[in-house]
Amino acid sequence: MMNTICKLVAGCLFLAGAAGTAARVNVVATTADFGAIAGAVGGQFVSVTVLAKPAEDPHFVDAKPSYILKLNRADLLIEGGAELELGWLPPLLDGARNPKLAAGQPGHMAVAEGLALLEVPADLDRSKGDLHAQGNPHFMTDPENARHAARRIAAGLAAVDPAHQAAYAANLAAWLKQLDAHAAVWRQRLAPFAGARVVAYHDAWPYFARRFGLKMDVFLEPKPGIPPSPAHLAEVIATIKREHLKAIIIEPYQNRRTAETVAAATGARLVDFAQYPGGLKGTDGDYLALFDRLVNNLAAALAAP
Amino acid sequence: MNEAFQIMLWPLVACLVLPGILIYLGLHIIRREIIFVDLALAQVAALGTCVSILLHHEAHDWQTFAWSGVFTLVGAAIFTLTRPRERRVPQEALIGIVYVVAAAGALLLLSRSPEGNEELRKTLVGDVLLVRPAEIAIVAGIFALVGLVHVVFRRPFLALSFEHGRAAGRNVWGWDFLFYALFGVVVTVIVHLFGVLLTFSFLIIPAVCAHLLVRRLAAQLAVSWAVAALASGAGMVASFQLDLPTGAAVVCALGLALLLVGLGRGLRRRGRSVAPTPPADGP
Repeated sequence: MMNTICKLVAGCLFLAGAAGTAARVNVVATTADFGAIAGAVGGQFVSVTVLAKPAEDPHFVDAKPSYILKLNRADLLIEGGAELELGWLPPLLDGARNPKLAAGQPGHMAVAEGLALLEVPADLDRSKGDLHAQGNPHFMTDPENARHAARRIAAGLAAVDPAHQAAYAANLAAWLKQLDAHAAVWRQRLAPFAGARVVAYHDAWPYFARRFGLKMDVFLEPKPGIPPSPAHLAEVIATIKREHLKAIIIEPYQNRRTAETVAAATGARLVDFAQYPGGLKGTDGDYLALFDRLVNNLAAALAAP
Repeated sequence: MNEAFQIMLWPLVACLVLPGILIYLGLHIIRREIIFVDLALAQVAALGTCVSILLHHEAHDWQTFAWSGVFTLVGAAIFTLTRPRERRVPQEALIGIVYVVAAAGALLLLSRSPEGNEELRKTLVGDVLLVRPAEIAIVAGIFALVGLVHVVFRRPFLALSFEHGRAAGRNVWGWDFLFYALFGVVVTVIVHLFGVLLTFSFLIIPAVCAHLLVRRLAAQLAVSWAVAALASGAGMVASFQLDLPTGAAVVCALGLALLLVGLGRGLRRRGRSVAPTPPADGP
């Protein structure tokens, strides 16, 4: 009697274990943009977890024990690379002790590899203020780089799960087609504003500006992380008034009151921006929906009289 | 369970081993009524780090350690010189002033540095969940040395804190300076691993609990250590089970421990005052 019960229990456990592990590839993405694309490319064969919250500054993620657990159980880790996650990911990986995610393993990929990044310092001289020695890591603000990311993520999935390679390739092709369709609309919406100067709180959007022919070189922060000084703000306000600039980009984790003050003093509009799907309401897990919103918000502000 | 153990092992080891010296220093700090001196010294050390960054050293260069060390000594000198001889201005006021001026000074310096704030934030504030075994070993070594100095020279140190310097002899200034310098080293090092909130909590809360419960120094030490260990364990379990940020969970567990100690003490007092019924109004 006891014996049969033991066998039954063991059998059930085995089945449950098999169903839980064999079915899906466990993907951990550091930020929501990679998570969204991994979900689109992986489809039913992957289960995706994202570590940084969409509205959280990806340079400073508050670690929680569950992050280590998730990394411990992951089959594939997708990080941006280029020092974006430098402050918090390495110690979490130390704690997770997952050999699949060791550097150089197929289970650990950095999307930035193979991309030409902007703002790569010519020489590593601290005095010039190189926050990122390998270039600006916010490359996903250019939809063309999302194309690169999707290709790399599909290749990464195929490497850890060769059985579903064909499905990943098909999903990739479908997503790239969607991206092309959306990108055509984005270009068209922003085309009338080519060359327009846009104010930003923080220098996080050089890729976006380059792609859509905008000039983003006026920042509310005199330097990354330094609160705006009165003289600097006065200068920004004067520039906005002189050139009739219309839009100030602000992200969820930036100081909104400063931006509101400048907007009130100049008549420029605040434009809600976010780098990660979910950072604006209604864009959860959808890179394309996020960029639809960004482009529409910005176009509306720039079109204002 | 095994997974929990694996993940929480080193944070727990850090919380059981490293606060030992913090707890002891906390007893001193409470007696001296200089509760916020740790925050002020940590901020002065951070000011040294800012100077070093402004001189284009990397955050982990030896020059940076040297600069923050020198500034810690300057902070120690300031607090030694402001030791209250006459109670015109409470020392807490000066401590608060040193804190805000050092913090604002750091902002001023960093506004001239190309890296700005981010570099500093990355290096100064740690997270107990992310401690590495090697870091624990190094910090434990430093603390052992500091502890040794405190054991060897316990007489003047204890006299300074607990008897207002009466028994310390002539060299009050020298001992006071050494006390603050060692204290600055401990706080600066531990903030790198634990962050500001957890460091402050380990320093103050167990010592307050001990002061509420017992009188003798040895007993106070024992009670503080027990409170710190129990709260660390409880905080770790809560952090893992409910998936909360680990440092903040331990801080709240320490706060809860103080609440329980306070309640227990209140009940005991009431029990005492109620038991022998006052015969005043009785017939």
